[in-house]
Amino acid sequence: MLYLATLYPVILYVVKQCGKAVVDNSVGTFRKALLFALLILNQSAFAVSSIEMRIGSVDAPVGQLKDTKLHVDLKGKKPKLNLTAAVKPAAAPDFMPFKLVCDTLFSEQLGYIDCFDGKLTSAVMDIPFSLHIAQQANQIALDVLFNGAKFSDAAGLHAGEGLIGDIQFTANKKQTGWQWRSELNWEKGEVFWQPFYFGDAGSAFSANGFVDAKKIVVNDAGLIVKDVGEIKANAAIDAKTKQLTDATITAKQIDFNGLYTLLLKPTLEKSAFGNLTVSGKANWQFQIKNTQPAHFELKLIDANIEDQNGKFSFSHVNANIPWDYDVAQNISLAYESGNLLNLPLGSANLKAELNRYALTTPELVLPLLDGALNFKDVSAAWLGKNWFWHLRMDLTPIDLKQFSAALGWPAMAGHISGQIPLVTYANKQLNMDGAMTFNVFDGTVGMNNLRIDDPLGVVTRLYADLTMRKLDLGVLTRTYRFGAIEGKLDGDVKGLELENWKAVRFDASLQTSDDNQKKKISQRAVENITALGGEGTAAALQRTFLRFFDEFNYDKIGISCKLRGDMCEMGGVTSTPDGYIIVKGSGIPAINVNGYNKQVSLSDLLGRIKRITDSNTNVIVK
Amino acid sequence: MKQTWIQTWIKFQRLIKLLVAIMVVFTIHLAYSAPNLEIDTPAINALKSSMQARHGQLAPFYGSGAIGLTSNGLIAVRDAKALPLKDRQGINALVASENTDRSKLYQEIAVANGHPEWGSSIQDAFAGRWIDKAQTGWYYQAAGGWTQK
Repeated sequence: MLYLATLYPVILYVVKQCGKAVVDNSVGTFRKALLFALLILNQSAFAVSSIEMRIGSVDAPVGQLKDTKLHVDLKGKKPKLNLTAAVKPAAAPDFMPFKLVCDTLFSEQLGYIDCFDGKLTSAVMDIPFSLHIAQQANQIALDVLFNGAKFSDAAGLHAGEGLIGDIQFTANKKQTGWQWRSELNWEKGEVFWQPFYFGDAGSAFSANGFVDAKKIVVNDAGLIVKDVGEIKANAAIDAKTKQLTDATITAKQIDFNGLYTLLLKPTLEKSAFGNLTVSGKANWQFQIKNTQPAHFELKLIDANIEDQNGKFSFSHVNANIPWDYDVAQNISLAYESGNLLNLPLGSANLKAELNRYALTTPELVLPLLDGALNFKDVSAAWLGKNWFWHLRMDLTPIDLKQFSAALGWPAMAGHISGQIPLVTYANKQLNMDGAMTFNVFDGTVGMNNLRIDDPLGVVTRLYADLTMRKLDLGVLTRTYRFGAIEGKLDGDVKGLELENWKAVRFDASLQTSDDNQKKKISQRAVENITALGGEGTAAALQRTFLRFFDEFNYDKIGISCKLRGDMCEMGGVTSTPDGYIIVKGSGIPAINVNGYNKQVSLSDLLGRIKRITDSNTNVIVK
Repeated sequence: MKQTWIQTWIKFQRLIKLLVAIMVVFTIHLAYSAPNLEIDTPAINALKSSMQARHGQLAPFYGSGAIGLTSNGLIAVRDAKALPLKDRQGINALVASENTDRSKLYQEIAVANGHPEWGSSIQDAFAGRWIDKAQTGWYYQAAGGWTQK
């Protein structure tokens, strides 16, 4: 007893025959007090039935402890330990209750403690455990089994539930710090460590390292993740700031789906790559130097990538994407086939240079159907969490028949070609300087002044001017089953504005080309044009002698629409006192088709056109 | 005679004042006419359907109290602990996407009303609407903090 009193002079103790030790106002550390209790436990010669200690407060760099009460019940066969305290970790704003229970406590040999059926509870954790500690002069070994443990920070952003597994930890004291080794087997349970979720247990982790007052060094960390593979890491953490200063994480030949689901998807949630289905193998490396990302490397080996929103897919992808903060890297990406907005992509091999936050390449060729999109002088930069890029583009002619089939449009003959001197993308706005030409219906459709706001967003707005020249009405009307019209058509759509791909504004006028040509309009086409004016108007034609003619000659066809919102201000070839002429007939028999409604709802008009083109029935001419 | 002239002048002045008052009231009425919150454009439709599609994912989180309606017409994570661990991963991105859509919706309604500067008052009007429409048990931000409906 005297020996103990000499060792801990600041601890006041009273040991009575009934068995009670009270320790008050300790200015020593909590560890000393605990050792004191355990030393008493080791002295089996004492006839003590319980020990109780109270410690006012303990301050340590990691936090504070107050109102600590330790009770050891020695009445049963094996001692029971009960520790309650209020604990305040350094980062926490308030004290919170904390309780440690050991239903079966062994400490028969100095330095060795076994705690079975233990439980550690506080506001942020509930950990049933069994523990074995072996402490020698310069070594401490810890073996913990946890069974159904759960923990959570106040916000619930770092939490684990139903955790079953074990941790083995040993540490050897060296001159300047501790050399440690640790192994963790995780058999069951789930962990959320924002933004990562580890839902499938069956993982193992082992590491060794060194810790001193300045830093925590982790060497040879090996993490075997179920369904992913092995990830290796080295790291250094600043002991004061807890910041990761240096790290290298390497994973080879791991399952790409596992890597994507576990580590990549959570960090890509808000990008176009946040909702993919992937397969294949991957090599992945990531390096941090002086708290900054320094090097990154992703290799994809025969991978398949498919966007769940249906915007793109690539199959048999082989990619090598290295990135380095200091040295420019060459990246390459090849795929055998793919799909972009429902358009089939052919085999491609893309190469570029990645220089810190900028990507440049002289040429990218994306085969598309029988043609290709050729991007030239591509330059892209990642600045302030936004992409900025510009490029030139030309098209290797693409067959319009295949193109329209791929998009589910009516089959069109012709091809798309064009050259765009400059396409820029900045502040979520895509601008095109120059014209894209579609060679369709034996004529041309040119697109100028294209601008798209927020192309990948919910509300996409498109602005453009269209110029149509010498479209063959015969081909056009056959394609859309409108009833045959022979002739050529010119048109201009100025100030076209699409909101969410629906027209809300334009000034459009379509009229027959001014040249000598065969100008014939069929009975059915006349009826259909007349029907655009409203239901039932076509019947009027049937009541006249004109119903006996299959086709008529015409001088001009013209229709114009000034769209604002959903209302079209309509016009035709010329105005009449009560409307406008859409088809001006010529020769014998001549027929004029007039329009009377000057204000027409565009959605009504499109609905009527759709009904006409959808109805694949022949008009019965009686 | 003189008095009659003065009386006429006073009456005339009153009439002028009345006319001015009518004009002022009429002008104020024009200037502050209520925005049409039900206005329909393709942009508004796109935002509404995007939000509708997301609502299925959000509804159970409103119910559990994990998320709630804020006083400024947006939503926020109220208590991530009310969610199973596996759902906590996507909640922030889900809330962020919903708030992007909501902010755009208010602005688009203002633009469609011909008054882009009305965005913030439309947002205020919607804040009240969302809370009125909220189901019993959902949380919303009131003066005293989170309140359960």
